[in-house]
Parts: sequence; structure tokens; C-alpha cells
Amino acid sequence: MSDVPSATVVQDGKLGGDVPKNGAPQRPKYKRKLSNYLLDKKLQLRYVLMVTILSGVIAGSLGYLIYQQRHIASASIEQDIAALTKDDDFQKQVAGELESTDRVLVYKMAGFGIGLVLILSAYLVIMTHKVAGPLYKVSMYFDRMADGRLGVVTALRKGDMLQDFYTAFRESHDAMRARLTADHEAMIAAVDKLRDASAKGNRAELDAAIGKLEAHNGTRKKQLS
Amino acid sequence: MAGPANKGYKRSWKNLLLNKRYQLRFTLFMVGLSALLMAGLGFWVMREANVATSVGRSRVVGEPCVKVPDLKPEEAFPDPAPPPPAPPVEKPVNVPPPDTDANDKAAAKADPKAPHHATVQIDDETMTLVPPAPIVQTVPKDWGDAVVEHWSCEMRQAGALDDLERGRTRILLVIVATSIGLLLGLAVYGINSTHKVAGPLFKVTLYLGKMREGRFDKVYNLRKGDQLVDFYDHFKAAHAGVVKLERDDLEQLRAVIAAAEAAGVEHDVMGELRALVARKEKSLE
Repeated sequence: MSDVPSATVVQDGKLGGDVPKNGAPQRPKYKRKLSNYLLDKKLQLRYVLMVTILSGVIAGSLGYLIYQQRHIASASIEQDIAALTKDDDFQKQVAGELESTDRVLVYKMAGFGIGLVLILSAYLVIMTHKVAGPLYKVSMYFDRMADGRLGVVTALRKGDMLQDFYTAFRESHDAMRARLTADHEAMIAAVDKLRDASAKGNRAELDAAIGKLEAHNGTRKKQLS
Repeated sequence: MAGPANKGYKRSWKNLLLNKRYQLRFTLFMVGLSALLMAGLGFWVMREANVATSVGRSRVVGEPCVKVPDLKPEEAFPDPAPPPPAPPVEKPVNVPPPDTDANDKAAAKADPKAPHHATVQIDDETMTLVPPAPIVQTVPKDWGDAVVEHWSCEMRQAGALDDLERGRTRILLVIVATSIGLLLGLAVYGINSTHKVAGPLFKVTLYLGKMREGRFDKVYNLRKGDQLVDFYDHFKAAHAGVVKLERDDLEQLRAVIAAAEAAGVEHDVMGELRALVARKEKSLE
């Protein structure tokens, strides 16, 4: 291990590789915001509502069955007690206790249902965000491409889904950018060579065309940066 | 965004799982969650149903049926009439008892190995047979009604218990059948609905593959019912943007080549530019 050079802190406790070159300010790391979780409302809410409503219907139906069975048992016990004793107070006391137990059950189930819907909705929004996020990012790059801008494509965030799709997009984007860059360089070289080339005929027209191509190259340079 | 008409592609069951990771994740989450809810709440329902059945059973069994009154033996079997007096027994004739010992001794002498036998003689003339008294069974007047009432009650109870048990079984069957149907339906629905997202992504991936190779074919519309329509519109705009870049290049290059040819320029760069134009023209076909 003695061959390994000692690390040198360059700036703010960071090593050389971690500090951006040319002193350029490092781009702030993107943080997920609560307000940005619903990027594609149509796509996300469709799934969230579907699963939440489905869970609500299942929980509601089975919850009703639970309450019904409990109520049947309570009513049966009340009738038994009424048959066994003539003590109205005792009957009322037992009926009250059973009713209270049944009510607690309803509250428990309602709490469970509400909790389930809330937790599920939050989880599903996050889950669908991991799909909507990459789609949103790709859409932004598509908008840039529509404007004729083919810049650098950055990687997805950790945990995002659709990695395969994004990789395909990135590779395609990079290949197009590389090809257009090569074409751009070829056109720059062509401008230089054509300027130096000797002409037998109308030179002014050629110079005008070269000027336009040069301007086009300037625009393209910005588009590919 | 009026694009070329759809090719008329039909969905095929074989192609439903285009993006397995995405589609299975969302479908299995939905199916798994439903299965968990159905199992957990179904178990709770069955527990309550068992309690309700037990309470109902206790209630049914706790209502005693009217017992069949026991028949008293003297009522069923009254004392038989006293037997008729035995006929007068004639004084038996004194018959000297046989000398068994003498007989035995004589037999023993004849055959010492022969077994000893005792001889019994019964004189049935002195025995009297008494005929059995006729059995007269007498029951209380309301005994029949009591029996009918008892067994009606028993059958009613058995029916009520059977109803309770069948009700419990019916709940169990309904939950199991609903769960199976729901889970199967959700699996099909989940794969089908995620396919409507995976389909457009797959289509865009195919176009991106062509664009990577430098081919800018026509972009067709999505199928009816597909999702991500907005996303696909963004893609079509991007495709058009790149095509425009290529066309702009082509236009400039053609203009320069035309001007150079008009000026009579003879240079190697002309060949390079013509090759570049040819490639770009081919990519836009």
C-alpha cells in the first residue's frame, strides 16, 4: 500500500476528483420535492385510484361481513340473556356492553380502512413517481430535441424505474449527437478547405454559400453544446 | 399532431408482457395487496363467523326440548293375575331308586376303562306349567303428543344447527371464490392496463433504435386505448426536430456543393460533401 499516493484535499475537504474542474460551480444535486411527486397526474392517479378504490371495496365488503357476524352473535347473546333472566337492568347492561364492543369494532375497522387508504395512496404516489419521473425527464429531453438541441443526457436517479427504456433513449441520443457532431466537424473542415480551394468560375456565389454554411455551423455548435 | 394513420396493429396475448419488470411489479403489487387484504380480513370474518356460529349453536342447544315422559313399569306391565292353583298332586308311587352304585360297580367290573355315568330320571307327571300373563301396556293420554313434540323439537334443533353450519360454510366459500376470481381478474386487468403503458414505450424504443442507426422513418400513431399519449407527442416532436436538423444540414450542403460546382471547384472535399449528402438523404427516406 506504500505505492499508493497520499490523498490531497483540494477544496472544502474534498479530494481532487470530487471538485469540478475550471472552478465551475457544481450543479446542486436534485432533491425530490413533495409537490413534484405527481408529475404525470393522469398516469399516476389512474393507478393510485384504481388500487386504492379496490382496496377500499375489499376492506369495506369484508368489514361489513365482520360487523354483521359480530352483530348476529351479540343479538343472539342478548336474546339468550333475555330468556334466562327477568332482570331488566342486567339485560340493559349486557346489551350496552355488547353495543359498545360492536361500536369499537366499527371504529377500529374505519380507522384501519382510512389508514390503509392513506398509507397506500402515499406509497403508490411514490411508486408511480418512479415511473413518471423518468418519463418526465425523457419528455424534457424530447422537448430540447424538438428545438434542435442535443446536449448531454444525465443518468437517472437511483431507484427510478424504466432503466432499460432510459438506457435505450440515452444510447440513441448519444449516437445522434455523436453523428451530428462529426457532421458538424466535417462541415467546418469543408468550409476551411473550400475557402482555400481555387475557383475557376463565380467565386462570389461560392463565398456566400460558404458564409451561410459557416453561420449554420455556428448555430449547430450551440445546439450540440 | 396529425400523424400518419395507424398500421392497424392488433394486440396479441403473446405480446402482452413487453416490459416484464415494470408490468409484473405493478400487477403483482395490486394482486399481492388484494390477496393480503382478502386473506387477513377473510380470516377475521371467519373468526367472527365461528363465534356467531358457536353462540347460535349454544342458543339452539340451550333451549331444551320437552322430554318424553317415562312409562312406569307397573303401567306397562301390570301385575299378572295370580296363577291358577296347581292341580292336586297324586301321591307318588314309591318306586325304589335304582341302585346306581351297584350298576356302576357292575360296569366297572365289565370294563374298567369305561367312564362313570349317573342316570337321572324325571317324573314330569308331578310338574305344573303356568301360562304367561298377557302383557297389557297402558300409556298416558298425552304421551303421544309429548313424543311428537319432543322429536319435532329435536329435528328443529338439528335443522337450526345445520343452518348455522351451512351459513358458516357459505361465508367461507364466498370468500374463497371471490378471492380467486378477484385475483385472477386483477392479474389479467393489471397486465392489460400496464401493457397500455409498456406498449408506447416499446414503440418509442423501436424508433429510438432506428434513430440511433441514422434512420428517420415515419412515426405512426399509437393504438387506440394506449396511454402516454402526451409523452408520445413529445417523442414525435423530438423526432421531427432531429429530422429538421438533418434537413437543414442537407440544405446547406446542397447549396455549397451547387455553388462550388458552379465555381468549378475541384477538390477532395467535394467528394466528402457529396458522400455526406448521400448519407443524409438516405437517412431521411
